[in-house]
Amino acid sequence: MLEIKNLHARVDGNEILEGISLTVKAGEIHAVMGPNGSGKSTLAKILSGHPSYEVADGQILFEKNNLLEMDAEERSLSGIFMGFQYPVEVPGVNNAEFLRMAFNARRVRDGEEEIDPLDFDELLSEKMKMLKMENKYKERNLNDGFSGGEKKKNEILQMAILKPKLAILDETDSGLDIDALRTVAEGVNSLRNEKNALILITHYQRLLDYIKPDFVHVLHKGKIVKSGDKALAIELESQGYDWVTTEN
Amino acid sequence: MPNTLVKSSAESAFLDLHKKLLERGRPALAELQEIALRRFDSLRFPHSKHEMYTYVNTKELAATSFGLPDDAANVSEDFVSRHIYPGCEHQCLVFVDGTFDRGLSRFEGMRADIAPLSEADRELKNYLSETAANENDVFASLSTAFCGDGIIFKVDDNTQISDTLQVLFVSTGRAAAPVMHAPRLVWQLGKLSEVKVIEKFVGRDGGYFINSVQDWLLAEGAGVSFTQVQADVFDSWHFSKTRVHLNRDAKFYSTNASSGTQLARHHYEVWLKEKGSELKLNGISVLDGKEQVHNFVRIHHAAPQCVSRQHFKNIVNGAARSSFDGTVIVNREAQLTTSDQLVNNLMLSDNCHTNNKPNLMILADDVKCTHGVTVGQIDEDQWFYLQTRGLSAKAAKELLTRSFAQSIIQTIEFPAVVEELSGSLLQKLEATDA
Ligand SMILES: Nc1ncnc2c1ncn2[C@@H]1O[C@H](COP(=O)(O)OP(=O)(O)OP(=O)(O)O)[C@@H](O)[C@H]1O
Ligand SMILES: [Mg+2]
Repeated sequence: MLEIKNLHARVDGNEILEGISLTVKAGEIHAVMGPNGSGKSTLAKILSGHPSYEVADGQILFEKNNLLEMDAEERSLSGIFMGFQYPVEVPGVNNAEFLRMAFNARRVRDGEEEIDPLDFDELLSEKMKMLKMENKYKERNLNDGFSGGEKKKNEILQMAILKPKLAILDETDSGLDIDALRTVAEGVNSLRNEKNALILITHYQRLLDYIKPDFVHVLHKGKIVKSGDKALAIELESQGYDWVTTEN
Repeated sequence: MPNTLVKSSAESAFLDLHKKLLERGRPALAELQEIALRRFDSLRFPHSKHEMYTYVNTKELAATSFGLPDDAANVSEDFVSRHIYPGCEHQCLVFVDGTFDRGLSRFEGMRADIAPLSEADRELKNYLSETAANENDVFASLSTAFCGDGIIFKVDDNTQISDTLQVLFVSTGRAAAPVMHAPRLVWQLGKLSEVKVIEKFVGRDGGYFINSVQDWLLAEGAGVSFTQVQADVFDSWHFSKTRVHLNRDAKFYSTNASSGTQLARHHYEVWLKEKGSELKLNGISVLDGKEQVHNFVRIHHAAPQCVSRQHFKNIVNGAARSSFDGTVIVNREAQLTTSDQLVNNLMLSDNCHTNNKPNLMILADDVKCTHGVTVGQIDEDQWFYLQTRGLSAKAAKELLTRSFAQSIIQTIEFPAVVEELSGSLLQKLEATDA
């Protein structure tokens, strides 16, 4: 589904990613871990089409298409979703209305008719119930004044509505309390099937207890320095990053 | 008249034009006109560093050679009804080229008195004379000097008019020479009375100068909800002066939505004269091309425990210009004043301009006053965020621009006006993307 080959990327002249290769197949879950500043969010933003990052070398194929030639809108419409580490507040844009716009953008692209507002409201209610979100978040403006945890839940709500093929969740677990983490993890799991894939960026093995990864990668200074299975995450939890990063 | 010889041609052109006006017969407001004309003569058109016109270049306007209006401009009922908002069909006052048009107006069952300004009682006449003699804005003087007759809209004590009244100002435009229209309205609101008013300014064709003056006189406890929509055609000039006097516990809530012209300027002068009075003054301008809107605000807190809140937003695209020059003056006796003043500008292009000068003059010591200005572009992070959810760059920008305007638009309580505004906002954004 996703093939990253030797990706080098810069921002404002600084080389941040220094040759990343990663292949994600349908049905798989990949966890990406690594110390602060190692380039995890950079990778996520490049995948979702952020204009500030300059790809200096390498290739990204998504379902055999050249991802780097697509803008953020196209990537979203073709099934890529990024859950932001720091979701942006957009005052003045109603949450439910925005979700409906995003949902309809996808329908229109697929040649379908826009959804009836009442039907959408029903769909939204159902997803919000799954995530234990109160109805009042429909009326609120997009992330505006949301607490850290509420913003993360709202990201997963968007994911649940948009049903992406590939979701990249950037530290969705940070900021969630224990109950919310379980709810969100259950939500994410319920959206899984053999046709979609997940990249989880996280610092904590705790999330991986709920959402079990097939692969764990450690990013350090813009490179994947180690890959393994879930055992790697457990090892990292007890030993820290030193033992993987000093090896290189 | 003194100094005739050294006068610049711009002023003398208007003085000559006024002589021609008098040749047509004695105007209904002859005395008031005379006072205003003298005031105009002593104020003179602003030079480039005039403190009331710091950001407004009036040179071209002043140098334009104006003619007098034709006798009877014809406006079809159809044109009028297209500009009357749903719900206001039975209560609308129509001005054509600055003159009140009784035939086109509707006031079935209106619970207010509507009288010509020339029939004002002695007290009101004194007020008008005094105001004209002390006018600080030369364009308001000019308006009064050329005002044929105006309207007094009087609401009795304890009368609350729940239906919304619309005032429509139609300028027909495109005469042999540009024409100045000088509509004049005086609103007298009795104790505990209430009105809701929408004013809309439209032009059928360009080349006119609409220069309106209104006075709002609110007695104790009176309440006004006032919405203005400035939708003139581009090649016109639009000046307005709105004077507001608030007595004890009176409330004046105003929102102006302007789409600009080659030169539009709104001048507000408000006196919070007695304890407990409250002012809300909001404005939104959506500008593109070479459109301009300038707001000039003076608010006088003359009594304790009054509140004034101003919020102006400008969306500026193309080579458009906006400005805000606002001062809140809090007198020594105006203790416990609450006042805020906020101006937000959203700049959508490299060639657009905005100038903002919020100002506070505080003589009392126990007050809560704030002011601020922001000038910004579309937030890149927000823009990207929306695109990652499948919105096109264009749709995302439109959504963000609309959301910027939202906090002002939502102060307008008339859905038809809100819908119209959102529509014209989108239209302007679309026009520039093409
Ligand atoms: N505009 C920029 N200019 C210079 N350096 C930048 C810029 N943006 C990001 N960086 C740097 O790139 C590096 C990688 O940042 P990134 O956000 O990808 O890290 P991360 O792995 O997600 O960290 P964390 O675990 O703290 O979220 C950091 O050192 C950061 O300071
Ligand atoms: Mg990060």
